[in-house]
Amino acid sequence: MPLINFLIYFLTMIGIYSVLAMSLNFQVGFTGLINFGQVAFFCIGAYTSSLLVVKAGAPLIVGFLGGMALSGLFGYIISIPTKSLKADYWAIATLAGGEVIRLVALNEKGLTEGAFGVMSIPQPFDWFFSRDTYPLFYLLLIVACVVTVYFALSLLTNSPFGRNLKAIRDEEDLCLSLGKNTRKLKLEAMVVAGMVAGLAGALFAHYITYISPENFRPIETFLMWAMIIVGGRGNHLGAILGAVVIQLFNISTRFIGGYVPFGSDFMSALRMVIIGVLIVLFLLYRPEGLIKERTKVYDLQGNNMK
Amino acid sequence: MKKSMLTIKNLQKDFGSLRALDRVSLEVEDDSIIGLIGPNGSGKTTLFNVVSGFYEKDEGEIYFKGERIDGLTPDRIVRKGLCRTFQVAKAPERLTVLENMMLAAKSQMGENPFSALFRRPRVSSFEKANLERAMELIELLQLADLKNEYAANLSGGQKKLLSLGRVFMLDPDLILLDEPTAGVNPTLTMELMKVIKELQKREHKSFFIIEHSMKVISDICDKVFVLNFGKKLAEGTPEEIQQDEEVLEAYLRGA
Repeated sequence: MPLINFLIYFLTMIGIYSVLAMSLNFQVGFTGLINFGQVAFFCIGAYTSSLLVVKAGAPLIVGFLGGMALSGLFGYIISIPTKSLKADYWAIATLAGGEVIRLVALNEKGLTEGAFGVMSIPQPFDWFFSRDTYPLFYLLLIVACVVTVYFALSLLTNSPFGRNLKAIRDEEDLCLSLGKNTRKLKLEAMVVAGMVAGLAGALFAHYITYISPENFRPIETFLMWAMIIVGGRGNHLGAILGAVVIQLFNISTRFIGGYVPFGSDFMSALRMVIIGVLIVLFLLYRPEGLIKERTKVYDLQGNNMK
Repeated sequence: MKKSMLTIKNLQKDFGSLRALDRVSLEVEDDSIIGLIGPNGSGKTTLFNVVSGFYEKDEGEIYFKGERIDGLTPDRIVRKGLCRTFQVAKAPERLTVLENMMLAAKSQMGENPFSALFRRPRVSSFEKANLERAMELIELLQLADLKNEYAANLSGGQKKLLSLGRVFMLDPDLILLDEPTAGVNPTLTMELMKVIKELQKREHKSFFIIEHSMKVISDICDKVFVLNFGKKLAEGTPEEIQQDEEVLEAYLRGA
């Protein structure tokens, strides 16, 4: 039984990180927006949903939608400097933005309980299931969310909207010369990505039922980047596959501390080193990732266009 | 007397101490093909960049269809009906030739996330219409065999053709072409000139063309402006220009 419980935990975490990786991939792989503060969306979604439910007594669905909305709003705000900052400078701004959000969560004790974190976060439909079956239900909920996000983002990236985003990624001046309002398009992309990552945050908070600023350190952004670099940018399946690979490695190595000669402390430090090496190897030898971006082919009959 | 499409008054642009455009005034009339020539570094492309909003002007005024457009962002100028191509053709590298064409289409649905998700039948019908037009055009531009090829894999000349194709998809009133035939083979160049003439006659589009080939200029242009060191040196019909002493002098000195 412990093994099956562990497996369910493991798959649940993969699901949550798949959503985060798809959101980051939507920004980086499709729109060319280098976001180093992705964890901010995750943090905002988790805190907003938890606090709405725990402190304000709102129904869970309001918590989830509130988390998505506020995270989307943050996407709107963080995209404003794209007007005046070049891509690499904007990337640094997002890194700072992510830390600002975490520090607000750490220091606004009246609102967020500071370092103590938010405890006893209610879980959806927990009255309906026994303690043993609930994790399985939650896993199914997560899978449903992953599938929904996958299809919604695929629809977007295959639409004229997605075509515009890819064109901005490759050649922004050309987009301007074709009359595209690139600023508005980037803004819309960030709001969509923010909502998706905010959903992941809410799913995470209501799964582990306790969150603190410790959960939202910049290293999380690093993990999400590792996922899209390994899995492949510009491809939603690649993001999911990357989440599987990185989480498989990240979680499994937590439990082999007893079996390796150098102990678990050393192992946890070594873990990040290995992920770093993995990123370098992929960038050198397989820069497109495990799954390549797919070429869009139009059906010339015009029906059923993907 | 034809109506004015584009009016430029006393346009000035400096790069540091270099005056790239020096009080240039000119007029592009409705329903005409106007050439812009001049030695290298005379300010032709700078003029296009300022008119299309990519550079800010320092002095002067620009009117398009009677409306002042200097100070507007490039995308807003395009939406008013004035579009341009680039001297070194740009093409989003991981979009296919067909996607490039579709990208430029004037009437599109689903360009924002909401309509892309929730108005899909309407989006599809617009896409279908645009796809038909795009196929016709790439047939004409001899790019049909490459329709599913990434733009990154095209040659410089093919990218030039693709940028013309995109402009035709965009369907503007005034088109600024920056060396449209550089790198395109001579047969196809003649073909393109025919297409441009045809579009002007049939759909009353206006063209403003930077071109180095005098043959192209004298074949299709109604009127030519000559720039030299950022100043307007001469204007007239291609025949007049070819006999202008000052123009010949400017070109020989540059060479």
